[in-house]
Amino acid sequence: MSHVLRLENITMQFGGVVAINDLSMHIDQGEIVALIGPNGAGKTTAFNCITGVYEPTNGAVYFNDQCIVRNQPTGRMKKLYAGDNRTPCEGPRIAMTPDKITKLGIARTFQNIRLFKSQSAFENVLIGMHLRRTSNPFSATFRLNLQEEKQMRQQAMELLEIVGLGAFAYEKATSLPYGQQRRLEIARALATQPRLLLLDEPAAGMNPQETDELGEFIVRIKDDFKLTVFLIEHHMNLVMDISDRIYVIDFGRQIAHGSPAQVQDDPEVIRAYLGEEEA
Amino acid sequence: MKKSTRMIIGFLLLALLFLAVWLIERAMGTNSMVITVLKKGAVYALIAVSMNLLNGFTGLFSLGQAGFMLVGAYTYAVFTIPMAKRMAVYQYYQGGIIQFEIPFFLAILLAGVVAALFAALIGMPVLRLKSDYLAIATLGFAEIIRAIIQYDKLGPITNGSNLLKTYPTFTTVLFPFVVSAVCIGIILLLIHSTYGRAFKAIRDDEIAAEAMGINLFRHKQLAFVVSSFFAGVGGALLAMYQGTVQANAFKSAMTYEILLIVVIGGMGSVSGSVMASFLFIACSEWWMRFLDSELMIGTFKVPLLRSGFRMVVFSILIMLVVLFYRRGIMGDRELSFDMFRRRKGVASK
Repeated sequence: MSHVLRLENITMQFGGVVAINDLSMHIDQGEIVALIGPNGAGKTTAFNCITGVYEPTNGAVYFNDQCIVRNQPTGRMKKLYAGDNRTPCEGPRIAMTPDKITKLGIARTFQNIRLFKSQSAFENVLIGMHLRRTSNPFSATFRLNLQEEKQMRQQAMELLEIVGLGAFAYEKATSLPYGQQRRLEIARALATQPRLLLLDEPAAGMNPQETDELGEFIVRIKDDFKLTVFLIEHHMNLVMDISDRIYVIDFGRQIAHGSPAQVQDDPEVIRAYLGEEEA
Repeated sequence: MKKSTRMIIGFLLLALLFLAVWLIERAMGTNSMVITVLKKGAVYALIAVSMNLLNGFTGLFSLGQAGFMLVGAYTYAVFTIPMAKRMAVYQYYQGGIIQFEIPFFLAILLAGVVAALFAALIGMPVLRLKSDYLAIATLGFAEIIRAIIQYDKLGPITNGSNLLKTYPTFTTVLFPFVVSAVCIGIILLLIHSTYGRAFKAIRDDEIAAEAMGINLFRHKQLAFVVSSFFAGVGGALLAMYQGTVQANAFKSAMTYEILLIVVIGGMGSVSGSVMASFLFIACSEWWMRFLDSELMIGTFKVPLLRSGFRMVVFSILIMLVVLFYRRGIMGDRELSFDMFRRRKGVASK
């Protein structure tokens, strides 16, 4: 069976630091998969490799069996390379830019919220729709795309309603409370019509009640938009509640993988989070 | 108020403004200071808005505006000098090699197109640079193009470092007003289209914009080309305003002047740029002229007033604006009906 997302032996090395070490994983259609690990384990780096922000040192990423990222150590990196997996990834180098990857159907949110600061919530979502346009600069300037524009505005409004921000559509994005900014980021990501949604700590800074609501919300949009969700999260309750599978990484290496129950009892995971017992 | 009524009122106000300008011209005569200021102000308004599209709306810190104006001005002048006068203008180059002329409105359009072509070519390497580096590269382009145009071997086309003159100029002050208004209108339409939103997204956060599927290079290139097109048209208008064109006048100081207008008006505000350009031109050409001439009150000679003092005062004013009024006249807002209504609402409370 083909996977929605497949990472093959991804290693990301910055200079001498190996941020991700030989990471392989796969995500299937309709799943909610979580990526957890202590601070600095390389979770966001993994996201950045998938979305084309970073180019991994070695390994490949496949989205619906299409290779979107592939690289192997070259030049100076050949000597410096310190990943566990010594076999260089076969095949020509592929490095899609983030905008191309988003166009294929992977959307993301950011750990440190990155909304378009000077614009309203509504405009933020509208910008997310720009990539599905059929108009060219000329027809857009001279308003030959009125139909499309109207449709975009309508859809943007609907998305805002779905994430519960309908009443704040014309508020400046940065004037919204923290939790709502996170929801707005999700709305903006949904506007790009993704098939895979990457959420980078969507519950950061939320209180327990908001976190519970967010969990329900993620499950709901997953079903409504027929999405596959891949999330990084520190709130264990949320992760355990909604995830189908969990990958745990520490120091860039995968240390556990399985259902929430399996992962919870894994001694490696407990060690990574709580530290080793002194003998 | 409904959107359509607002638009109608807006157009009526614009028509009223044109009428007022026309009446002023009738009353004051074509050579009065007011008319000079209005003409130059209208030309600079277009150029400032074109620069604002790049610096204020797309967040590309480009300093190449004078270069594109130069290209536009020369394109216009070279193609519109009447056949009969080419021999006299190109006296050192046997009348030049371009032995035809085209109608002036076509030449204005061509001025924009040629400037846009230059921008498309230069944009390819240059737009991959960020902030300061982009500024240096575009500034370099402007200086290089100025030198190239004065190159003696290009004389048969550009007349080397000699003046271009005798081409058609403004016959009425309304002409630059109408052309500028149409061009600024088009820029406004672009800014409020889905592409304009993408520009602003790039300005606010490049990484997020790219993650939203916006092709950074293509959109920057678009903004750069459109901005340069209108800078080229503005250059053609400036040539018409001046009556003569010489490459040497398009120094980087000219870009700084326009940057100043953009900053004073407010980065990201079209109406701010327009207001600031009239203010700036009025100040530099008219209101502050007295600072440049010696003044005697009775037997008392007012100190400091002498040639060049105007620039000192100007610099101080600019420093004050940048220090205490950083967002300029308009910030990133636009002049609108709502603004007045809200102000009234606040006042009545």
